[in-house]
Amino acid sequence: MTIGSFIGPFLPELVLLAAALLVFLLDVVKVRRIEVTGGISAAAFGVALLLVVADLGFTPLAFLASIPSSQIDAIPAVGAAPLWAFTSLGLVFQALFLLAAFLVALASTSRPSNERGAPIFYGLLILATLGMLLVAVAVDLIFLLLAIEVVSIASYLLVAYARKERRGLEAAMKFFVIGALSTVLSFFGASLLFGAYGTTNLDVIRAAGTAVPDPTLVLLGYGFLVAGLAFKITLVPFHAWAVDVYDGAPDDVSAFLAGGTKKIGIFAFFLVFLGPVLVLGSAGPSGYGLFGGSVALGPSLQLTLGILAVLTMTVGNVLALLQKEMKRMLAYSSISQAGYMMIGIVIGTAPALGGATLQVFAHVLMKTGAFLVVGAVAALGVGPLISDWRGLGSRRPFLGVAFGLMLLSLAGVPLTVGFVSKFVLFSAAVHAQGWFVWLAVAGLLNSALSVYYYARVLKVMFFDAPPAPDPALAGAVVGAAGPPALPVGGLGYGRAATIALIAVLIVLFGIYPQAVLGPIQSAANHFVSVGA
Amino acid sequence: MLPLISIILATLAVGTVATFFAGTKARWVALATSVVFLLETALLFLGYSGWPGYSTSLVPGFSDTESYSWISLPWLHINYTVGVDGISLVLILLTAILQIATVVYSWGETHRPAGYFGLMMLTCLGCFGVFVALDILLFFLFWEAVLVPMFFLIGYWGGPNRRYAAIKFFVYTHVASIVMLVGLLALVFYSGATSFDFSAVYAAARGLSPVVQTFLFLALFFGFAVKFPIVPFHTWLPDAHVEAPTGGSVLLAGLLLKLGGYGLIRWAVEVLPSGFHATQPLLFVIAFLTIIWGSVLSLAQRDLKRLVAYSSINHMGIVLLAIALNSSLGLLAAVLLMFAHGIVSGLLFMGAGSVHHQYGTRDISSLGGITPSAPSLATMIMAGSLASLGLPALIGFPAEFTAFLATWNDLGYWVMIPLAVLVVTAAFYLWMMQRMLFGPPRAVPADAHDLPWYEGAGMGLLVVLTVLFGILPSLLVNVIVNSPIKGWPGT
Repeated sequence: MTIGSFIGPFLPELVLLAAALLVFLLDVVKVRRIEVTGGISAAAFGVALLLVVADLGFTPLAFLASIPSSQIDAIPAVGAAPLWAFTSLGLVFQALFLLAAFLVALASTSRPSNERGAPIFYGLLILATLGMLLVAVAVDLIFLLLAIEVVSIASYLLVAYARKERRGLEAAMKFFVIGALSTVLSFFGASLLFGAYGTTNLDVIRAAGTAVPDPTLVLLGYGFLVAGLAFKITLVPFHAWAVDVYDGAPDDVSAFLAGGTKKIGIFAFFLVFLGPVLVLGSAGPSGYGLFGGSVALGPSLQLTLGILAVLTMTVGNVLALLQKEMKRMLAYSSISQAGYMMIGIVIGTAPALGGATLQVFAHVLMKTGAFLVVGAVAALGVGPLISDWRGLGSRRPFLGVAFGLMLLSLAGVPLTVGFVSKFVLFSAAVHAQGWFVWLAVAGLLNSALSVYYYARVLKVMFFDAPPAPDPALAGAVVGAAGPPALPVGGLGYGRAATIALIAVLIVLFGIYPQAVLGPIQSAANHFVSVGA
Repeated sequence: MLPLISIILATLAVGTVATFFAGTKARWVALATSVVFLLETALLFLGYSGWPGYSTSLVPGFSDTESYSWISLPWLHINYTVGVDGISLVLILLTAILQIATVVYSWGETHRPAGYFGLMMLTCLGCFGVFVALDILLFFLFWEAVLVPMFFLIGYWGGPNRRYAAIKFFVYTHVASIVMLVGLLALVFYSGATSFDFSAVYAAARGLSPVVQTFLFLALFFGFAVKFPIVPFHTWLPDAHVEAPTGGSVLLAGLLLKLGGYGLIRWAVEVLPSGFHATQPLLFVIAFLTIIWGSVLSLAQRDLKRLVAYSSINHMGIVLLAIALNSSLGLLAAVLLMFAHGIVSGLLFMGAGSVHHQYGTRDISSLGGITPSAPSLATMIMAGSLASLGLPALIGFPAEFTAFLATWNDLGYWVMIPLAVLVVTAAFYLWMMQRMLFGPPRAVPADAHDLPWYEGAGMGLLVVLTVLFGILPSLLVNVIVNSPIKGWPGT
């Protein structure tokens, strides 16, 4: 392998690495203005995003493509056990990760420009995103778990980087302890699988299927992996940490965690469990011995994950109903959304995988956007409670309408991307027939439930009268005591542009979803056919 | 040929948005849009290719069809497909008429008029969309799109108990829509249809086993039955009607209830014949129950609006009965009944609203002797009541006559049940008129005056149509029977 053929495919990752080094170097020479570091990182994410989109076969950008098309979705040679491979679904996820990171980086340039932690924040943001890109190319269990660890460590620090915030530190501590537990469980599961199969390459494991001397190890290994990875995507009952972390972290970091890093868990689920779900789904007769009985791995894994999915969406939605604080409500709704995405992996067919990926795409836009709006509103001096947002819609029509669109999309109202993604996902569940139809029913009932708490926020924002001394208006003109007022009514250019962009994309892809749905579906088809 | 349906959709969409932003001029924008909509509907009638001798269209049996790919995946083909047949055409005409009548009637609305008129336009847009959609997703989008504006109309402009009524309306119909959506998706995927288009689903669903068809039919029926509404899913309707503002009530009774009947005919009865056949006895039982229940409860009502609401349930029961007969005459009767009920219930709800404006109450027993102080209001209410109880030469008569004829043809002496109930219906309308319109004046304020011109004009339009279609029902019948389904006499 020449160095050129190695560098080419990893060009997006190298761009990010270079940007991270540059940001840290600038910190050393005391160039710390948020416009500079933020600009560098946003640009790096933007360039990397274009490179990945070009690799996906987007014709107008074909000249940027750096991965030979023969390497994408290539079927691995017999006997080869590579650490990484380029699948088009992996590239789609890379694009989604970069999109989330780009949006967060762009929006956070609107923080006060003399903030001290800016280089650290952006450096860590880039490193976390780098790890996420590596997750999306993994085909080896150890490579995958190490890449997840890169993301995790960077995100622990991101939560804690504003050192003076006690809540942030507490959240980071909690995040770290739970994250360590999750890592231990995952690696233990991986070691059991290694014991069973003698390899950690997921392709080889998939091909071996049931042909192993000790199937009980396989069952236990997958069990521990489910638990370890479930922490990452906040499946109920592994979800309790998420709300405190999203709540305590700085707003931009919450946006990145909920909109971005959480999705590595989804992709990891795709990678690890698609094999057993697909290949062992029909391995009825032999089964796996456990406690003297016989368990068919594929169906029981499907059933377990299916129960977790339904539990996750229901518990997330019910708890979201009870919340009084905006950020905590969004955190719980984010948990319930993970339940919807799980439907894709439970079913394991190409349509379901495509639907789940579209749901991830929609969620990147909606959740990143929602947390960014929350950050913007908090920066205007509005309190954390939902009732503090009274009358915001009429006083601040831009924020009100944008946030309203995001909530409508989260609720799955037609003509938003959130409706299309849920529609495709639930269609895929019905398409798969059998008991999967009940997943669609559960998902639909849950989205009906979720309409209630999203609509409540809309009511508060648009129908209720604002509180007497209106902080949303005061924040824009404060100036004297606090930091200087920002342009665009105190929002700042970066934040205003990001929120507007997200709102436009939500409607655009809601009306014409084919633009993203086509590539996502063909990627999912390849992923399933190569995987199986 | 002009893509007329898309042009109408665009007209309504632009008109709706413009109304929302028109401030105090909203009523003018709404009126202009409604007039254009009515003219375009007339064009749709003139160009209707269901008339004998026309060439076939994109979707067999439908006129003015358009189809564009919207979402295309290996396993999922969704198109923007629209078109009309005789049944949808008649209901579109009803939409246009009621829209214009409601806008004129509500001319005096001063409480946030932009929102009020905009939401009414949006409701009509959604109804029009439901009547023209020939793709399952498109149908569902419009179906849901009707829900939201009506929720706000009730919840913001409604009576004292409006929040409860709005939420009840939303929850009932939304849960029903979800069950319906699962049914529709299952219909596509279990039948192996190549796309979400009506024609594809129609062709593929024939291959389903009767058992599967029955389950699918029940799921779809549940969704439509709540909208209909059918006993025992009807309890949202009286609450919603009583609390809704008059314009909202008119659209709710006149149009929204028709969505259930239309959906049942278009997406369930036609598509799942075996399922329909298996469910027929159940439908008869439910229909008779609804007819009796709605009528008996009307007798017990003291609130004028609630009375009209329960009589709507009674009429919808007759519609369900006519559909359940599974004969072409029954189907004709069902569509005629829906049209007639749309006009007449609109008229009666307007009357109830005017009574409430003038006299400050809708309590029948505390009202009396309206006629001397408000002769035209009394005339309109009388026309509506007489049409509703089926007086010949008014629109209710041909519709109900056809329905009873069809029932006699298929069920024989069972027709005695709806006929007997008709006597009850006549009784409560006569009691209401005798009590409220005539007799000694009660609760008549000193400054009592007749209808304002706009309320009179809105109701007058409907009265004229009641008479016109009562004398010449053939205007509608000719369109309906040229629908290419079920071996109509005309095809």
